Amino acid sequence: VVLAAVDNSAAARAVLATAAAVADVMHAGVEAVHVRNDGDRTVTAAARAAGIPLRELEDPIPQSLVREVERRDISVLVVGARAVPVARHPAGHVALALITTLRRPLVVVPPEVRLPLRLRRALVPLDGTKATAAALDEVVELVCGSSVEVIVLHVFDETCLPRFADQPQYELDAWAREFLARYSRAGLKLEVRAGVPGEHVLQVAEAVDADLIVLGWAQDLSPGRARVVRAVLSRSRVPVLLVPCLSR
Amino acid sequence: VSLPAPLDRRFEAFVFDWDGTAVPDREADATDVRRRLEALCALGAEVAVVSGTNVVNVDGQLGARPSGPGRLYLCLNRGSEVFRVDADGPRLVYRRAATPAEDAVLTSAAEAAARRLAERGLRTEIVSARLNRRKIDLIPEPGWSDPPKARIAELLEAVEGRLVAAGLQGLREAAAIATEAAAEAGLAGASVTSDAKHLEIGLTDKSDSARWAFGELWRRGIAASLTLVAGDEMGPLGELPGSDSLLLVPEGNGSTAVSVGREPEGVPAGVIALTGGPTAFLALLDDQLERRRRREPPGLPEIPGWSLAVDGLDPELERAHETLLTLSDGVIGTTGSPLGRHPAATPGVVAIGVYEGEGADTALAPLPVWSELPFRLAPDARLRRALDLRTGILREELAQADGSLEALRFSSLARPGTATLRVVGNRSLLGRTRPSWEAAPTALVAENRTERDGRVALDRIAAYAPGVGAESARLKLEAARRDGYEALLAEHRATWAGRWENADVVVEGDPRLQNDIRFALFHLIGSVPDRGEAAVGARGLTGSGYRGHVFWDADVFVLPFFAATHPQSARAMLEYRLRRLGPARAAAKAGGRAGARFPWESAASGDDVTPQSARALTGQVMPVRTGLEEEHIVADVAWAAACYEAWTGDEAFARGPGRELLVETARYWASRVEVDGEGRGHIRGVIGPDEYHEHVDDNAFTNVMARWNLRRAAAAARREPTGVSQEEIDSWLRTAETLVDGYDPASGLYEQFAGFFELEPLVIADIAPHRPVSAEVLLGHERLHAAQVVKQADVLMLHHLVPDEVAEGSLEANLAFYEPRTAHGSSLSPGIHSALLARAERLEEAVEWLRLASRIDLDDLTATTASGLHVAAMGSVWHALAFGFAGLRPRGDVLELDPRLPPSWDALELRVAFRGSRVRLRVEPDAVTIVAEPAVRVALSGGEPVLAPPEGVRLAGV
Repeated sequence: VVLAAVDNSAAARAVLATAAAVADVMHAGVEAVHVRNDGDRTVTAAARAAGIPLRELEDPIPQSLVREVERRDISVLVVGARAVPVARHPAGHVALALITTLRRPLVVVPPEVRLPLRLRRALVPLDGTKATAAALDEVVELVCGSSVEVIVLHVFDETCLPRFADQPQYELDAWAREFLARYSRAGLKLEVRAGVPGEHVLQVAEAVDADLIVLGWAQDLSPGRARVVRAVLSRSRVPVLLVPCLSR
Repeated sequence: VSLPAPLDRRFEAFVFDWDGTAVPDREADATDVRRRLEALCALGAEVAVVSGTNVVNVDGQLGARPSGPGRLYLCLNRGSEVFRVDADGPRLVYRRAATPAEDAVLTSAAEAAARRLAERGLRTEIVSARLNRRKIDLIPEPGWSDPPKARIAELLEAVEGRLVAAGLQGLREAAAIATEAAAEAGLAGASVTSDAKHLEIGLTDKSDSARWAFGELWRRGIAASLTLVAGDEMGPLGELPGSDSLLLVPEGNGSTAVSVGREPEGVPAGVIALTGGPTAFLALLDDQLERRRRREPPGLPEIPGWSLAVDGLDPELERAHETLLTLSDGVIGTTGSPLGRHPAATPGVVAIGVYEGEGADTALAPLPVWSELPFRLAPDARLRRALDLRTGILREELAQADGSLEALRFSSLARPGTATLRVVGNRSLLGRTRPSWEAAPTALVAENRTERDGRVALDRIAAYAPGVGAESARLKLEAARRDGYEALLAEHRATWAGRWENADVVVEGDPRLQNDIRFALFHLIGSVPDRGEAAVGARGLTGSGYRGHVFWDADVFVLPFFAATHPQSARAMLEYRLRRLGPARAAAKAGGRAGARFPWESAASGDDVTPQSARALTGQVMPVRTGLEEEHIVADVAWAAACYEAWTGDEAFARGPGRELLVETARYWASRVEVDGEGRGHIRGVIGPDEYHEHVDDNAFTNVMARWNLRRAAAAARREPTGVSQEEIDSWLRTAETLVDGYDPASGLYEQFAGFFELEPLVIADIAPHRPVSAEVLLGHERLHAAQVVKQADVLMLHHLVPDEVAEGSLEANLAFYEPRTAHGSSLSPGIHSALLARAERLEEAVEWLRLASRIDLDDLTATTASGLHVAAMGSVWHALAFGFAGLRPRGDVLELDPRLPPSWDALELRVAFRGSRVRLRVEPDAVTIVAEPAVRVALSGGEPVLAPPEGVRLAGV
């Protein structure tokens, strides 16, 4: 089951639409939950319009949400990043608490998402590490099995510069084939860029018209960490699927 | 027969004593031995019989007439003679002939020994009619005239009794007296041994036989660890070492030694005491015959410095691993993928010069794979693949829940295009193979399969005749099947060993580097055929990367190794260019030029197949201008021809096709150079080896190579003027004279191209987090074009390729300037810089770059090893060793060397072929030893040439 956690804000409609689209790809059911602490007129109307059953959870959040997700063995949780596009913080405290504590995939939905939403193209940035590849393996497999096109992105930055590039007309093909074989799936489309990863993720997502960005991460928001996740969460105009890299 | 564990395996060679080991005595009927030895040789085993007696005695008794493929040697006369025996009987292949002076000394030594023993009261007799030795009979009594081996203990007792009665302490003292007498007679280092009845003083002994045998086996591709040594007197005898213990020479370290004798005083450590005499020995041979008949795969030595093993299957690295394990024979290359199917594996076969597609899309054609087996590799499979670099054999061992197997495969260097697999394993794994199939019209496969107790033994032979025709493949397959697996194995092993005899490089003091160097040379050797034409693509036969297109990599980086070690292959590479002179002439004409313009990228047709655009690692789509502008390839082809001529002295080539290459390329340059109003010649709008800078004018490398090309062609045309007028020759020389080269005598620097010094002065060594680095990714293309950042040796390539064309003494200044500005973003760069740093005596840096160059694929530093090995970088490893550290340069009929031995190396040894002579050079800290057969003239460090003879010359003063 895909679970949408909605509040009584302008983001509710986008979160519900995203949850429905994700559930469609996964061939899963979709439900919504809501904690009544700020009224329910917007959220109730949005759920009704989306045709998604809405239940109320007891305070406090996010603890009640975490309990719900774990109790129901929810596959994917979908939450709103912030209430309105002009919010002062890229992600609200509920979203931040959930992404750092829940050990399962979670979609963060910006309020700017264009509706109606249908997932056609997912951008999967890979940093060329086994940990990220392993974290995203299941998701990529699932998405590859659907009608959604997967585009893999690798951004070279100063930590992972290629050492050699003999003839440009061949180097990328050979490199990309092996990169996909090692860290993803053969035959997928691969985009490469050089520079600041977070910037390029956003640019490429726009350039290829992606409607979902999939990021693996270590759920660590301490200073200096998760730069790509921070950048993408703050500026992405499409939903972001965060997958925890769990140590195995 | 229940055998001790060390004997429970197949051996490839047998070195054994004759009398007492194989036969009870010299009168015994040897029919049983003969039959077994002939059968073993027929099944590919190599046999060396060692005896102190002569060929009449041993051959008369043995009478074996094996017809191969395994060889039978008789190592006789106490190490002084070797005969090879085949269907026509024994033929002398080696004899140590004593000089008359040595003979006289031997006699006086024996007489002195006999005299001293007589003085002690012991009567002896000298038996003198023996090659290179004298025997002193310690018990010249009728009852002991020819004692059988079975009475050895009685004999020893009788001899010892006789010695003690004379007041001697025993055999040991008698031997000491003989040794002392020999030394006083002037025979230092004499071999004194005893078989109990005799004391023998000789120039040679059985250890010489053993050394010769192990040397010969090594030259046949058989390591000592695959050899069984057998004797009956391994243990001491009367306090003297047993005569067969002399078979245990250092060259045989790793072999398995067994004694079938009684060994009253035990056997030396490491020798298996089997006892049982000749009967036990025959049982050993029977066991070995049975193993071959049931197709037990041979063992494979993992010799330090000669092997590459991969344990398990790592899905992330598998494609790189199987590329490292590729088996190539000069015609086809097969990845070393596991035999069973696995999703991470990508088995593949490519053939040299066999392309598909058109234009820039022309690419090596994937051919059907011959080596796969019809089972799945289990996730928990225990898998080991080990490649023997010395013989090009890949062994695979697999154990998983549903069965196990052992397999050996090789692609025959002796008959390129023929590949074999021998596998023994459970029916569960090998249940559904096909007896014969047509993999393609020009690739055929046949199997020979037997099954016993659920274990399947399978021999598979594949024959590829790509580009030749189906009939050729059929004939190839038939011939291979007729000759059989063992013959194919023996000839393949021997061919590889033969190639190493002429190409090996030894670095003493750095075991890891040693192995890495051999890994590079192994894949070079496998990448090029030695007949017909050789289209050596950027990845050789190890993968389809770079679509198999032929670049300057082949002419400049790969060819010199072959010119200096196996000239036939270099000639085949030049033949590839020669056969494409037509398209090269057409390309020149189409561009409004004369002569021949070879393409930057070439495939089957000889037309340029360089793509027009590319997406770079930065993601940017870029126009590719190398096909239009990287014109130095024209001079590179000419340089390759000159390189071949210099090493081989092939006059027919020099006056014929080689001259044609030089003349046609010179004509191109003559028409390409623009002379300005001040009489200065320019080549505008080119790309040099530094491909970070496009469309530049007067690239120093291009201009100087063109100048060299014009001058070299003029010299060739003067020698053989047909078709070239004196006027044209003069015009080439005038044009060469006009060409600017960017050299500034004040600074000693060459400017890489006009305006290079005006670019942004970036020192990449200071700003990059590490080097090598792909600078276009670090800095971006636009910045790079405008900066003094160099991809690979450009100006410095001149100091490497044509040192006589650059200002004398200019290497150091240019190396100091350009190396820190070089990103080494080309895999061709580290090896060449290693060579240059060695020449400049910056030896620690030279070794570091060499190490890096030799690990480019082993460590997958490009992350593209999966699509093929960087054979040109492997060639550059040889460049560094031969041209850099050894300082080799052929000059006329003199081979110059000017070694630079790093302090961390104990010695550097190279083998090269120079003008028909096999030359072996050994560089040590204080001297160089050169052995040449036939003799050639060599010059050390600028000194006067001296003759290096077959017996070698040692020159001091490195």
